[in-house]
Amino acid sequence: MNESNQTIAPPSLRPAVFAANGEHHPDAGLNLRPSGRGNPSRLDGAVVGQTIGTVTVVDPVFSCRDVNVYYGAKHAIKGVSLDVGKKQVLAMIGPSGCGKSTFLRCLNRMNDTIAGARVTGQILLDGQDIHDPARDVVQLRARVGMVFQKPNPFPKSIYDNVAFGPRLHGLVRRRADLDELVCTSLQRAGLWNEVKDRLTQSGTGLSGGQQQRLCIARTIAVMPHVILMDEPCSALDPIATARIEDLIDELKESFAIAIVTHSMQQAARVSQRTAYFHMGSLVEVGETDRIFTNPRHRLTEDYITGRFG
Amino acid sequence: MLEGHISRSFDGELAGLHIRVLEMGGLALDQVRAAARAYAEWDLHNAQLAIDREGVLITSGSRIFDDQLTLIARRNPVASDLRAIIALAKIAAELDRAGAEACKIARTVLHQSGRPGRRTSSDARHLANLATALLRLSLEALDQLDSEIADQVIDHDQDLDAEYAAGLRRLLTRALEDPANLEVTVEAAFVLKALERIGDHARNAAQQIVSLADHVAVGGQAAQQ
Repeated sequence: MNESNQTIAPPSLRPAVFAANGEHHPDAGLNLRPSGRGNPSRLDGAVVGQTIGTVTVVDPVFSCRDVNVYYGAKHAIKGVSLDVGKKQVLAMIGPSGCGKSTFLRCLNRMNDTIAGARVTGQILLDGQDIHDPARDVVQLRARVGMVFQKPNPFPKSIYDNVAFGPRLHGLVRRRADLDELVCTSLQRAGLWNEVKDRLTQSGTGLSGGQQQRLCIARTIAVMPHVILMDEPCSALDPIATARIEDLIDELKESFAIAIVTHSMQQAARVSQRTAYFHMGSLVEVGETDRIFTNPRHRLTEDYITGRFG
Repeated sequence: MLEGHISRSFDGELAGLHIRVLEMGGLALDQVRAAARAYAEWDLHNAQLAIDREGVLITSGSRIFDDQLTLIARRNPVASDLRAIIALAKIAAELDRAGAEACKIARTVLHQSGRPGRRTSSDARHLANLATALLRLSLEALDQLDSEIADQVIDHDQDLDAEYAAGLRRLLTRALEDPANLEVTVEAAFVLKALERIGDHARNAAQQIVSLADHVAVGGQAAQQ
């Protein structure tokens, strides 16, 4: 535990915590907060204590325990424990520099590429440690796809953009199979009808929203278990954003999705669970419905109501 | 009171909504007082005043409703802000209903149906004093967003309920002694019931204020940190 985690929330309002020994707090998942009557401190204190809410899920894809990230001397992620569940969307919100993107990048070991970055703690993907030396990072990234803020299609044809991953990983043997995979991926990304007549044209010639859906098609073509999204709509207009959000809602039936977003409304719209990060710590995690109506930590409340300053 | 947002114009809009609900409360309180005096004194002037106030109260209520819709559409409030807006909407609805009860009382007088006897008037005056005191106290709680004052309203509503039951028993006893004035008795029973309902609306508003005050305490503390 780092120093800031020594400051525990007031004893009158015990948070449901994931205990260090890996067991659930007996009250985890219950609403521990008194009704509020005659209780001036409705929420837990403004200090960052232990994470409030249940960090575990019944059927996790990712299971992260006590993850710390250091960029040189900077302690960017401080003892975060969090699960990503199957067939659901986990939204990660928080002010700039709170560590939400850094945490996301831990999940497919993208921090490996940054000089001076060090990750400690345990991250299990389907029960296997992703930091296992025997683990092939390329294979890991095939199972954990990523969609970035700015659409980044390859300067190749639309077809080749989607076919690139399956070819690289040897997922298909015959051309006909590849055609079908490209077609279904584009269909699932909701792009097929718009591009079916121009598959040979360059992917960079599409509109921003189409490019982003092309990137999503490229990601799902390699049949990942998890899709990570780092502010996938922040460069898009509202209509393209709505299309992507609708797509996320459909994709969650097949994939686990973890999305970092600056738009709290987007987190409220697309996710089932929401995690609030603050200065490298995971402050609160819970059902999205509850976080946006009845957050338990004051920092969460301040952030989502726009009182942070 | 509902402050601390980065966007200070949002603070202003919430504060404006709070003030308009308070103003509506003032209108409702005036209306209840006029109607109660009209019945106890059998005073047509005050009865007409209470009826005329109804339109003003309804206009005030619909303006508050419009403001709330605009706030929700423009600001997308969540958590304590959203609950504060909903609580203020519920309080406005309670005030609106309290005004409607006052209207019922005033109509009894305007229609000249069954002027009560001295003892019935006295009972009605007593109940009216309790009901207006509760309403006034709940507005004070709303003004200061003070949950302790609101708790007093919730507690004292039971006194009003007890007085209503006692008043109704006395009314029935008098009706049995003098069955000729049945119409007066029925009208008086409705008036007593209306006064008791006004107390209930004050209590319901107070319950909303308790939760609202708690949320505001949180927001206020947050703003200072």
